[in-house]
Amino acid sequence: MSSVLRILLRRLGISVIVLIGVSMLIFAIARVIPGDPARIALGPNASAEQVANLRAEMHLDESIFAQYGYFVSDVLRGDLGQSLYTNRPVTTDIVQFLPATLELVIFAGILMVGLGLPLGILAARHRGRWPDHVIRVLTLLTVSAPSFVWAVILMLLFAFYLPLFPVAGRLGDSFDIATVTGFLTIDTLIAGNFSAFLDALSHLVLPSVALSLSGIGQAARLTRANMIETYDKPYIEMAQAFGFFPSRIAKRYAFKPSMIPSLTIIGLDFAAMLGNAFLVEAVFAWPGLSRYGVAVILRKDLNAIMGTVLIIALTFLVVNILVDLLIAFLNPRIRHSTRASS
Amino acid sequence: MSTLLDIQDLRLSFKGLRGITDVLHGISLSIAAGERVALVGESGSGKSVIARIVLGLLQETRSARVSGKVGFDGAEINTMRPRDRAKLRGTEMSMIFQDPTSSLNPTFTIGNQFAEVMRRRDPKLSRAACDARAIEMLTEVSIPNPDRILENYPFQLSGGMNQRVMIAMALVNHPKLLLADEPGTALDVSVQAQTLRLMHDLVEKHGTAVLFISHNLGVVREFADRVYVIYRGNIVEEGPTASVFHNPGHAYTRALMDAVPRITGAGLPEVPEVSDAFLAPMVRHDRGAA
Repeated sequence: MSSVLRILLRRLGISVIVLIGVSMLIFAIARVIPGDPARIALGPNASAEQVANLRAEMHLDESIFAQYGYFVSDVLRGDLGQSLYTNRPVTTDIVQFLPATLELVIFAGILMVGLGLPLGILAARHRGRWPDHVIRVLTLLTVSAPSFVWAVILMLLFAFYLPLFPVAGRLGDSFDIATVTGFLTIDTLIAGNFSAFLDALSHLVLPSVALSLSGIGQAARLTRANMIETYDKPYIEMAQAFGFFPSRIAKRYAFKPSMIPSLTIIGLDFAAMLGNAFLVEAVFAWPGLSRYGVAVILRKDLNAIMGTVLIIALTFLVVNILVDLLIAFLNPRIRHSTRASS
Repeated sequence: MSTLLDIQDLRLSFKGLRGITDVLHGISLSIAAGERVALVGESGSGKSVIARIVLGLLQETRSARVSGKVGFDGAEINTMRPRDRAKLRGTEMSMIFQDPTSSLNPTFTIGNQFAEVMRRRDPKLSRAACDARAIEMLTEVSIPNPDRILENYPFQLSGGMNQRVMIAMALVNHPKLLLADEPGTALDVSVQAQTLRLMHDLVEKHGTAVLFISHNLGVVREFADRVYVIYRGNIVEEGPTASVFHNPGHAYTRALMDAVPRITGAGLPEVPEVSDAFLAPMVRHDRGAA
């Protein structure tokens, strides 16, 4: 397993470089946007003296390199500055809003993998017959509309015309659940309040389905294509020649090799859901980081924008590292090539 | 000797977009227990599909129409339920393929794949027992450090090694019939010769009957007791290897023999694409003789 550790360390090293790049980019964007940050922060009624004081306090009079140095050292100390929108430290906001987004994205990710892969396998195994046709048409439909369109459609169908699920929010007003993890499905269980758990779950259904539909379609189509390609490989014929049952061949012999190319894309899809969540959260009034991100962008709240982008970049990197590790786990060629090269 | 494989009037056609394509026009072929039989012919003559029919794989393809009799060890493959056919594969009969490296699963270790194959015979076999038996079998095919090979993946081994692994894997369950479809054609000639020698000794030792499918007459001559020559879905000639080689009766057999390049010759031999003589009635094929 030491080779997996080596991959992990290498990926972490690359991630640090990426993070440095992202921080430079965010920093540069923040300085390029027109307007004096101190003036924006204090508002139009502040005196010139007040602005000058704040400029000095924010190191705005020093060189751009020095400013970047202050920015980085602040970030490393976990200080992302003050949000103008909520008048609180950005880190406090992130701690409050991130769990809601993560809960939504993780649920959507579970749906994507839990429905997309089996559908793809089913289609590949019944290639050219009716299950394949049905799945292909359905997945094409889900892939071809963006998630916010699905959000509106689902909301109209299953919350408005057919009120099966709540329209918006994360939890009914009647429940009062102590925040432990920020994941309501977990916190309600910690509180031992099962009806609150069901309520939180029913709030999750529509947003996570809307967010995951195109991912489900993508994962299913990708799995189908790669499975079919794998089915043409000689080692599948060999497995057939040795009399393994079709279900076993699908599970053990075709699925694993075919997952290797699919996983990279599925990982990217999963990370892309963070971006799509911006619009889905807006539709469902989901109090998450993405909705916070939209609000602060509209208000030109620089510190909060920088903090949000940084956190999303970080999540992206973590997901990518996990996917890479999973691929290394599935593909012995990658595991063993690192051993050989180092 | 008792007949192990008895194929009578086997016909195969594929239903395609442009109607039906006939591939086999009534093949009869038999193999006695422990006998080594070669099926020789050019690409597209229909030799590989025969192996897939014996395994019962083509019968499960929707576009294929198979008729005739395929008797194996007293049972009739063509009319068997798919489940029962699958039970024979990997236990009573097994197959080795052209390209050993791509025929082994790239994501499992050799030991893992051996265990899978052995559990076809005995599902309750422990991994340790599988490994011990695999090492025994790998030693038989002259693989050095067999215990280390078990932990390797196919891509870490050479083509020749993988070929030996595949032969060992195909024989580990003591099948009565081994189907070899152009074994080692993907390997270079000297490695191919070594592994075929090895395979020859092994099947002789275990008393395994072999249907050896090849286009390479030189290899066939070394390996087989009896030869069937197939051309365009018909058996054109059949007989003991020595007599077919010394006195080829059919025009196509002679053309096939002329097609073998010789080092001392003047370049590649000239072989006509099609000749009326190739399609002439089967001169020595006695249908139905077992």
